[in-house]
Amino acid sequence: MRSYTAVTLRQLSSRRGRLFLTISGIVLGTGMIVGVLLLTTTIQRTFTDLYDSIYGKADLVLAATSDAGALPEDALARVRTTQGVDSAVGQVTAVLSLVGADGPGAELNAAGTTVEGQSYSDLEIVSGRKVRGGREAELEASWAEANGLQVGDTASLATPTGIRDYRVAGLFKFSTGVDFGGEGFGFLPLGEARRAFGQPAGWSEIQAVVSEEGTGAVDQVKRRLDAEFGPGVEVITPQGKSDQIQSQLQALNVILYFFAGMALFVGGFLIFNSFNMTVLQRMREIGMQRTLGASRGMVVRSVLTESSTLGIAGSLLGILGGIGIALALITLLRSIGLPVGALQWTAAAPVAGILMGLITATAGSLIPALRAGRIAPIRAVLGSEGLRSRPKPIRAAIGICLVAPGLYGAFTLGAADQTTTAVVAAGIGGIIAIFFGIALLAPFVVSPLSRLLSWPVRKLAPIEGRLASDSARANPTRTAATATALLIGLALVVGINSLGSSFLNSIEREFDRAFARDLTVQPRGLNPGAGPQQSLAPSVLGKISDLPGVAVATPERLVATAQLPQVAGRKGNGPQGLLFGFDPSVYDKVDSSQIDTGDLTRAEAYARVGKGALTVGKGYAEEAGIEIGHEMLLEGASGVERAPVVAVVDTILAGGQTVSMSLEKMARVYGITSDTQIAVKAESVDARAEVKREIERLLEADYPNLTVLSNDEIKSEVESQISQQFGFFNALVAVAILASLFGIVNTLSMSVLERTREIGVLRALGATRWQIRRTVANESLIISLIGAVLGISIGVGLGWALLQGLAAGVPGVVYSPPIGTMLAVAVAAVLLGLIAAIVPARRAAKLDVVDALSYE
Amino acid sequence: MSPGSKRSGKRSGDTDPVPAIDARKLTKRYGSGTSLVKALDRLDFRVEKGEMVAIMGPSGSGKSTLLHLLGALETPTSGTIALAGENFEGLDDRGLTLLRREKIGFVFQFFNLLPSLNALENVMLPALIAGRRDPKVEKRARSLLKRVGLARRERHLPSELSGGEQQRVSIARALLLEPELVLADEPTGNLDSRSEATVLDLLSELNSDEGHTIVIVTHDTTAAAVAGRVSFLRDGRSAGEVAGGDSAKVIRAFAKLESPASKTKKRRSSAKSPRGKR
Repeated sequence: MRSYTAVTLRQLSSRRGRLFLTISGIVLGTGMIVGVLLLTTTIQRTFTDLYDSIYGKADLVLAATSDAGALPEDALARVRTTQGVDSAVGQVTAVLSLVGADGPGAELNAAGTTVEGQSYSDLEIVSGRKVRGGREAELEASWAEANGLQVGDTASLATPTGIRDYRVAGLFKFSTGVDFGGEGFGFLPLGEARRAFGQPAGWSEIQAVVSEEGTGAVDQVKRRLDAEFGPGVEVITPQGKSDQIQSQLQALNVILYFFAGMALFVGGFLIFNSFNMTVLQRMREIGMQRTLGASRGMVVRSVLTESSTLGIAGSLLGILGGIGIALALITLLRSIGLPVGALQWTAAAPVAGILMGLITATAGSLIPALRAGRIAPIRAVLGSEGLRSRPKPIRAAIGICLVAPGLYGAFTLGAADQTTTAVVAAGIGGIIAIFFGIALLAPFVVSPLSRLLSWPVRKLAPIEGRLASDSARANPTRTAATATALLIGLALVVGINSLGSSFLNSIEREFDRAFARDLTVQPRGLNPGAGPQQSLAPSVLGKISDLPGVAVATPERLVATAQLPQVAGRKGNGPQGLLFGFDPSVYDKVDSSQIDTGDLTRAEAYARVGKGALTVGKGYAEEAGIEIGHEMLLEGASGVERAPVVAVVDTILAGGQTVSMSLEKMARVYGITSDTQIAVKAESVDARAEVKREIERLLEADYPNLTVLSNDEIKSEVESQISQQFGFFNALVAVAILASLFGIVNTLSMSVLERTREIGVLRALGATRWQIRRTVANESLIISLIGAVLGISIGVGLGWALLQGLAAGVPGVVYSPPIGTMLAVAVAAVLLGLIAAIVPARRAAKLDVVDALSYE
Repeated sequence: MSPGSKRSGKRSGDTDPVPAIDARKLTKRYGSGTSLVKALDRLDFRVEKGEMVAIMGPSGSGKSTLLHLLGALETPTSGTIALAGENFEGLDDRGLTLLRREKIGFVFQFFNLLPSLNALENVMLPALIAGRRDPKVEKRARSLLKRVGLARRERHLPSELSGGEQQRVSIARALLLEPELVLADEPTGNLDSRSEATVLDLLSELNSDEGHTIVIVTHDTTAAAVAGRVSFLRDGRSAGEVAGGDSAKVIRAFAKLESPASKTKKRRSSAKSPRGKR
C-alpha cells in the first residue's frame, strides 16, 4: 500500500456484498440512461433508413397535411411541369391487412405505383420480379417470410373495398438492410391499387427528382411547389420527413429521459443512504485515522474516492444492463405499434452512462463525506455511542418549501400544450423538488407511521412486531431514506396512472353521454392519431343499412392532421388535431354530445353543417379563442374554402382539438373519401343483440378485418389502449422500483448487523429461527408500507396537480383516483417488503447464538 | 440467612435421583488440522437439583464453552448432556431452542436487556417469545421484579437503570418461566463492588430460599465463593473442586490452578477460540 487512497480502496474490496447493494441503484440508473440513449439512436436510425430506402432517389415528397388526404389527379402534371423538376411519380397508399385462415393478421403498408414509380425507392428484388399489372403484389422479404409467404403464393388482403387475392410476384429487400420491427411494406400495380383502395383518381403521395444537384436547387424547387399547392399540401425532403417523425417522438424521448433520470435519482439516494450507514458504522475507525493525523480533507476525499470508484464500477455494469434495457424497450415499443429496427450502438451512450454514474455517486455521497470529515478524533474511543440521529426541524421547513413549488412545476407540465424545454424542465424540476422535499419530511412521519403500520403485527405477534417497529424507529433518518427511495417509484406509478384513470373515466363519461348509437363498426385495432389507419370498404355501409332491424347506419371519418383549420385572417398555422367528418342529416340519431349551438337549435345547427358550416371542439375553441360565428380557413390538399363555426362540441376526443364538418366537405377540401367507422342504431333496444349478430355474420363472411363493437366493448377497447400505453410507462418506473428494492435489502442488512447481539439474546431466550425471520420481515414490511402509504399519497397529489394542468387545456377531463393502481401498489409494496427481507432474514436466523451474544 | 445449610447439600440419590444436569464425556473441538482447538476434553460434570455451583478456570480453560453447551447454545462434538433427565442428543435447532425457552434461564455479563423494552417488558420477554399472553404472566413478572427489589422501576428503560439494577432485571427475566436451571455467565463481571454484592446475595438467596438450581461461570473468587461447590477447569479438563462458602480456600485453590504463569500464558494463546470476539 503506497497511499491513503490505497487504504480506502482496500476497504472497498473488504465488503463485497454491501458493495453490490450500494451500487445497484447506480447500475440500474445508468442502465436506464444508456438504454434510453441506445433506443433513441435506434429509433432515429430506423426512420432515417426507412425514408432513405423508401424515397431512395426522390428529392422531394408531396403529401396532404392530413392523414389519408389525397392530392388531385392533375397534381402530378403540375409537379412535372414545375421549373427545376426533372421527373416525378405518383402513388396511392393504404393500410391493408393480411387475411389468414384464422382471421385478419399483420398490417401491410401498401403503395400502388408504376414500375417507374418503384424505381424511385432504394430496394432490390431478392426473388421473383416487380409487379407489372393485374392482381399481383410485391412484398418486403422479411415481412413475407414472417407471414409465411413466398413467390407464387396467394395473399388474401383486406383492402378498403373488401378482400382481394393477390399472387405474390416478387420479394424485395430495402438496400439499407435494416428491418423495421416487423412493419410490412409492399407494392401493387397502380391500376389495381386504385380499384382496391377505392381511389379512382388523385394521389396519396408524389415524389419528385430535382434536375440540378445540391440543396440550394432542392430548396428552390420546394419553394416553387409550396407556392403552387398552398398549405394543404406538404412539400418535404426525405430527411425532413425523418426529422418530422423525430420531433413527433420528442415527447416520448422526454418521457424516457425523465424515467431514466428518476431511476438515477433513486440510485443517488441509495448511495446517500448507504454511505451514511457506512460512515456511522466506521466512526471508530475514522476517529482512529484522525488521531493518527488524517486531516478532515483527507477523510472527506477518502469517502469521495470510494464513492466515485463505485460510481464508475456501477456505470460500467450499467452499460451492460443498458443494452438489455434498450432491447427490452425496443420489444415494448414494437408491441405498442411503433416500428423500431435492430439495436444501434452509439459511443455517446457509454460516455454519458459513466459520466452520469460518476456524478450521481459523488453527489449522493457528498453529505456523508462531509459528515465523515466532521468526525472528531475522540470517536476512536467512543465509537458511535451517544449519537442519535434525530431529524432537525429545519429539515421539515425546507421540505415543505420544496414540495409546494414542486407541485406547481408539475401543474405547469400538465398545463403545457407544447412540451418546450422550459416547460419540461419546470415539470421535471418540480417533480424532483417534490421528492427532495418528501425525503426531508419523511423522518418526521416515520415514527408515528411505523407505530401505526406495525399495529396489526404487534397484535398478532407482540414481540416480533414490537421489535420490528422499534428497529424501524430507532433510526428514523435511515428508515425514511429507504422508504423514500421506494416511495419515488410508487408515487410515479400512482401519479402517472392517475392521468390514465382520469382520462379513461372522462372518456367513458363522454361515451355514456354522447353515444346514442348502439353499435360501432371499425377496423380491428383502430387507433386514430397513431399514423395511417385501415379504412372501411364503401360497400359495407350499404350492406349494414339493408340488414333487418337497423334504423340508422352512418359513416364517420376521423383523420389526424398536422394543422387544424385556423380562424380566417389570423396568422400562423393551426395546431395538430383531429378532423372529423359526419353526415349531419342523421347524426343526431346516433350521437347526443353536448353541443353549444348559440342561438340556433341543434337541428338548425346540423342543417348548417350540411350546407358547409363547421363545429369546433371545446378544447381547441377555448385555447384559440374561437367563437360561434367565426369564419375558419380550411386549406386541404384538394382545395381551399372558408366556413363559419356554428357550434362548439364538448368533447375530450383528441383533447378537444377537433374540427368537424360534413362528409362532402371533407372529401372536397381534403380529398378524404374513406370511412373510419360506422355508427349503427337499431330500431329498438330489443333488436340490438340480433342486429349485432347479423353484422357479425356479415363481417365474418366478407370483411374479416372489421369488427362490430357494442358501446361497452368500445369502452374496454379504449381502456386497453390506454392501459397498454400506461403499461409501457409502468415498465419504465419498474426499474426505479427495482433499485429501491436493493435499498431496502441494504438497510435491513445494516439493521441485522446492528442488532446481532439482540438477536443472540432472543435466540438464547428461546426465540426460534422463524421468529427471528419474522422480526426482520416485519421491519421490511414496515419500511415498504411506509413507502407505499407515502408513495400513494404523494402520487395522488402529483397526479392531481398534473391533471389540473391538463384540464386547463382539455376541458372536461376530471380527476379520478386510480383505485386499481393504488391497490396494486399496496400489494406490490407488501411483496417487495417480503422479497427484500428474504436474504437479511435468512442471515439473521442463521446467526450462531454464541457468536451473536459476544458481538459488539 | 444461613449460608451453606441448603446449598452445600449434595443431596445425592436418595431424595431425588435425577440430577439437574448430568454431562458425560463432553468434548468440544473447534477448527481442524493445525488450527484444531480442544476446548473441552471428555469432561464429566454433574449438578444436583437445588445446587448452586460455580465453574472457575483461567481464560481458555473451557468454562465458557461448558456453559454454552449446558445452555444448549452449542452442541458438543461428542458426549452427552441430560437436563433433568432429558437428553439433549438428537435435538435439532428447534428442539434446542424450545428446551432453552422452557427449561433454562440465562444471566449474562452484559445484562443483554432489550434497550427498547422497559423493565417489566424485559422480564416478560421469554413469555412473549413463547407466545404466552395470559394475565398471569404479567402478574408473575411484577412479583419477580418485586422479588429482586425493583417493584418501582417497572416502567424504566434499561438506559435509565444502573448496572446492578439491570442485572437484577435480567435475573428476574431468567426466572420468569421457572426454569430447571439458571446459567449465569460472569454475572458480576461488569459491576462495581456494591452492585456485585447485591447481585450475589440475590443469587444466593434464590438458591437457598427458593431452591433454584444455579450454575455460575466466573473468574472472580468472591463470586465463586457464594456457591455451594466450586468446580475448577483447566485445558478443558476437570481440575478438582472445593466446597464453597470459604473464599480464602477458593482463592488458594484458584491460585494453585493458575501457576505456573508461563504455562498459563502459552495455554491462553493456543486455546483462544478461533471464532474470536469481534
